[in-house]
Amino acid sequence: MVASEYDAVIVGAGGDGPVAAWKLAEAGLSVLVLEAGPFHGNEKWPKPHEDPGGEASSSIEDLSGELLDEQFTTREFEMVNKLIFGPADHERGFYFRKFPGDGAILQCSGVGGTTLHYTGNHPRAYPASIDEQGHWPIDYADLVPYYQEIEEMCEVAPAPVTAKEELFFRGAAAAGWDLLDELNVTEPGYRPQPNAIRQPDEKLHVDADYDGDFQYPEVEGDTLALGNIAGNPHPRGAPFEEKAKRASNISFVPPALKTGNVTIRPNAFVTDIHTDTWFGDDPSATGVEFRDTWSGDKEDVEAEVVVLAAGAIETPRLWKNADLPENDWVGSGMTIHFGDNVMGLFEGADLDGTLGTDTVDQFQGQDIAARFDYPGLGMLQTVGTTPGLGAILGFGASASGFTFQNDTSDAPWDTMGRLAGRELKETLAEYRRMLQILVVSDDRPHERNGVTVVPGVSDENGSIPLVNYVPSDGDKKRRDELAEIAAEILREAGASHVHRSDSPPTALHVQSTMRMGKVVDTACEAYDVDRLFVADHSALANSVGGVNPTNTGQALAARTAEKIVDRYF
Amino acid sequence: MEGNNVTRRTVLRGVAAGGGTLAVSGQAAGSSTTFDTHTKITFRAIVDAVLPETPGLEDSLGAEHVPGGLAVDLEAFLITYANDLFTFGLPYVGEVGNIPIASPVAAVLDLAAKELLAEGDNEDEPSVDRPLSLLEPEDESAWVVRFVAGTFAKLSRRDRLRAIGLLDGYELELSPVSGTVFEADAGLVGQLVVGFAEVIYYSEWEGYDEFTQPPSQREHANDPAEVQSWRQTGYPGFSDGYAALRGYVGTPDGPLGGGDVWTEIDDDGAVLVTRDSGHFRENDYDTSDYEEPYPEGA
Ligand SMILES: Cc1cc2nc3c(=O)[nH]c(=O)nc-3n(C[C@H](O)[C@H](O)[C@H](O)COP(=O)(O)OP(=O)(O)OC[C@H]3O[C@@H](n4cnc5c(N)ncnc54)[C@H](O)[C@@H]3O)c2cc1C
Repeated sequence: MVASEYDAVIVGAGGDGPVAAWKLAEAGLSVLVLEAGPFHGNEKWPKPHEDPGGEASSSIEDLSGELLDEQFTTREFEMVNKLIFGPADHERGFYFRKFPGDGAILQCSGVGGTTLHYTGNHPRAYPASIDEQGHWPIDYADLVPYYQEIEEMCEVAPAPVTAKEELFFRGAAAAGWDLLDELNVTEPGYRPQPNAIRQPDEKLHVDADYDGDFQYPEVEGDTLALGNIAGNPHPRGAPFEEKAKRASNISFVPPALKTGNVTIRPNAFVTDIHTDTWFGDDPSATGVEFRDTWSGDKEDVEAEVVVLAAGAIETPRLWKNADLPENDWVGSGMTIHFGDNVMGLFEGADLDGTLGTDTVDQFQGQDIAARFDYPGLGMLQTVGTTPGLGAILGFGASASGFTFQNDTSDAPWDTMGRLAGRELKETLAEYRRMLQILVVSDDRPHERNGVTVVPGVSDENGSIPLVNYVPSDGDKKRRDELAEIAAEILREAGASHVHRSDSPPTALHVQSTMRMGKVVDTACEAYDVDRLFVADHSALANSVGGVNPTNTGQALAARTAEKIVDRYF
Repeated sequence: MEGNNVTRRTVLRGVAAGGGTLAVSGQAAGSSTTFDTHTKITFRAIVDAVLPETPGLEDSLGAEHVPGGLAVDLEAFLITYANDLFTFGLPYVGEVGNIPIASPVAAVLDLAAKELLAEGDNEDEPSVDRPLSLLEPEDESAWVVRFVAGTFAKLSRRDRLRAIGLLDGYELELSPVSGTVFEADAGLVGQLVVGFAEVIYYSEWEGYDEFTQPPSQREHANDPAEVQSWRQTGYPGFSDGYAALRGYVGTPDGPLGGGDVWTEIDDDGAVLVTRDSGHFRENDYDTSDYEEPYPEGA
């Protein structure tokens, strides 16, 4: 039974919420985490998409690797449907949001949040994006100790090399770029990904003739079977905490529960924030209202502090629906790392020469294990996908129509646009000889981009988020230059055909909608509402240079938890 | 829009109450059977354009590359999926709270097709022979198809794609529950009929006994023999692991990499793949000479 009062209530158990929960609980506070989605791998919810199950979980004993194995089937279509933001009940569809063009927002619900989808890449921000771009009121140096703490908790280490990474590194080296070996990146170059995925067992070396069944405890660590976007439960048979991918449900939820001070209540959608005005003008947060997504019943809970960690779309939506004081920047300044896809197709004979095999076999290895950094522009990363996700992410959408509508005779790519019809089938027939590069640009916070709500356009949880995103000229130029670098790396690696998607804005990384310095102060407490904190990616002051944001979001959440204790306990 | 009496806006009025009925303005009134048939024909035309049968690939790639989405009834699942895709969340009513969008999507595609024709951007003449050619033995009679098929289904494959491409410029007015109208970009339609058709087709979907079952009751053989698209991509099915480790990238003197050299990445042996992993360096950093490659305008 959830109590009626806690020291802290955290809204959302996504990438960052569990970090704050763990830190606050370590400091001795009683913490309730309310999560809109289900809790996978927990004995209280043996069929989390079919039955309402139990109410809340406060014990590490509830966690079950066996249940996670059962629920995380690694089948791509099924898993995406299970994880994408919507109610847990499998009979009901996703929550609808308005997003421009044929792009989309990819966010998950459930304990672990969007880190259930994430591919474990855990680099730090580029120092210059914090110290030189003028958006952050704190220094990069302030974050470093928290990065160290998070990296240790998530076991961040250099990602392993399989065929696709070797191909990329060869291309990058041949194109004249340097190998980087540092954590704080200030120059362009390529690196292995710093990944929050346990390194594979050395038994899995191509030379070691392993022919076992990849089950724990015979193998520990990652099993090089892709599947991070589908949740990655590997190695099969491992206890919950021994799963290789350190998504926040694996890295931070167990230590949070171990404190004995944390209760997690899934299937609980927070719809309102309660405030009181005691002294002076500023209201103070006193608790929240939430709605059980199965029964529809509403409950209230009181707290000394309220921490918003619902992600960069839902946190500003909740603020707006809760009728808190107006602040023009709530919801504004959203960055999404305006991205693109550049694909290389290779001939078998050429691959044989460079790799010693005539296929790349992108389904082997980790999804994203190699990267190229360019402070000021953003990053590139290799991507392995299962064919369905590869088709939609790499070819299913474009801002410039279908390939047959685009003249690419003067372009660095052979084809550009959306693929369908015979061209699509011909390209996907080359699935085993393909290397995909994801372009991720350092887009900047612009006031027009972000989340608004319109009264009346609502679902069961209140007015729905209407999302706007229009990149600036600078954003487009940064992305274009990165796409050209990607094409060159692929050519140098020996690609016989290079394809650019010219993807429409698609939000995989969403941040900076409740920016530090605009909506929240340097401790991430709202300027306009006391005792209301933000501990998710919406508090980031910009797009952290275009690098994967979760290390920074989590580092900041850890720092915010300390500030909460300092200020109020 | 000049020379075109098709409105750019179409109203999808989702009266999601009471089981979720939907009316589409600007659409000829008709019985729900007519709507169902129109939707079916249109979705068949979508699948035929996005994932066509390709006899032309037999010689170059092999016979397994010939069948397309229609051979695996992708259109039927796409309709079901579209109708279950979004919930506006009438509490307590489960799937009937979902907003069925397949029929309005089909109507929107006809509007886009008419616009393509009005603009003269089609390359081929529309013809009712096209939907007729997609008929299957157990289907409605040819005269029903002649009567019900919309403009979209009559376009050539390429022109159907062109019509879909026009949708990004459209605004849809959606009215979820309360009667308040708001606009949604019709790019959603293009995403559904192209992007979703592609992800479903190339995923494991075909291999389920029944995807609409509760997740714990679905069976999947994880066998390319059961999934046409896996045979076309060469994807071997999901695996618990691969012995695919080549090692770790590093340099002879740096902290990354370690142990035996497995291969050299560049010609002069400055970058290697080694057997063991090293670690990243906690380096001092200096950002004072950072320059914006593309400064934001003032
Ligand atoms: C395919 C994919 C791959 C990615 N890979 C990487 C990667 O490798 N590295 C990286 O750094 N980033 C990656 N990301 C991005 C990363 O996952 C997100 O940036 C990160 O999870 C954001 O954390 P968050 O806490 O801000 O929000 P989320 O993780 O989205 O968490 C928000 C949580 O709040 C819950 N919630 C929302 N509203 C409410 C409410 N009103 N009441 C209660 N609960 C609510 C949600 O259900 C969710 O669980 C990836 C994203 C995708 C889609």
